[in-house]
Amino acid sequence: MAGQSQNIQTLLEAEKEAQKLVQQSRQYRTQRLKDAHSEATKEIEDYKAQKEQEFKSYEASHTGNTQSVQATVDKETDAKLRVISQQYEKNKDAVVKKLLDRVILVQPELHRNLEKLEE
Amino acid sequence: MASRPMNDEEVLTEMNKMVAFIKQEALEKAREVRVKADEEFSIEKAKLVKQAQQAINAQYEKKRKGAEVSQKIAHSTLTNKSRLRILHLREQHLQDLFQAAREQLATLASSSQYVQFLQGIIAQGFLQLLEAEVSIHVREADAAAAKDAAAAASNQYTEISGRRVKYELVSSLSPDLAGGIKLVSGNKRITLDNSLDERLRLLEDRMLPEIRYELYGKNENRRFQT
Repeated sequence: MAGQSQNIQTLLEAEKEAQKLVQQSRQYRTQRLKDAHSEATKEIEDYKAQKEQEFKSYEASHTGNTQSVQATVDKETDAKLRVISQQYEKNKDAVVKKLLDRVILVQPELHRNLEKLEE
Repeated sequence: MASRPMNDEEVLTEMNKMVAFIKQEALEKAREVRVKADEEFSIEKAKLVKQAQQAINAQYEKKRKGAEVSQKIAHSTLTNKSRLRILHLREQHLQDLFQAAREQLATLASSSQYVQFLQGIIAQGFLQLLEAEVSIHVREADAAAAKDAAAAASNQYTEISGRRVKYELVSSLSPDLAGGIKLVSGNKRITLDNSLDERLRLLEDRMLPEIRYELYGKNENRRFQT
């Protein structure tokens, strides 16, 4: 029966090998988790860069928009100002005359709550 | 169960079987672990990416809203500036107009109706004060005209109100004024300014809606027009 300890040895070695195999798979698992993190980070960065790009182009288009609106508004305003000055020049003499006419217009009246006193 | 002890051959076979079994079990377990690891990898990665994407989206949404708001503000400021420019010009023109009127005011005193005008405003003053004793302040230049005007005015006053008034003429008004009179009464405590300058000033204020309409036309923004 001296072969028995040899057999036991063989079995123990087999067990050890088995443990190694499982151990390797566990290392694989750990590595996979790390990969998940690093790959996720990369993907996230790419996404962020893309979003930043989108935003920048949105911003650029809107800045242009504001400037064109400003130009339009200014032009409109200038036109309106010209009209106002024209109207003024046309009508001012009439208005001044109206004012002055009414300055000397006077109608003396007794207050409506009072009555004329009879002698 | 062997009923007799195994021989060497049988032992070897059994041993190989056991070794193979151990190895097989290990391989299966290892395989399970690896498959699970890959699953967890996918899940974890997807979770991380999704979380981060949501956060980034929210962040950029906020940025975008901010940009929209500031754009709206910018546009609103533009519109406001435009309106202010318009209002400013209108106001300027208005002031120019009043200035022109004030300059022409002096010519009224030399018109043919001036005496009648004086009579009117003196009577108007009397009727406003309803006092028994009044002093009429005029410019030096108007003193003569005012004398006649005051007498007529006093009669007019009595005719309209049935009351009498005792007046005196004082040449105290500055020659810088355009014309008209000031009445003082009640122990010098009541003053009534009926000078041309004051009348114009009052008109400048009271006639603003009418002036606006005459100069610039109807106001489209008003809901109710008088």
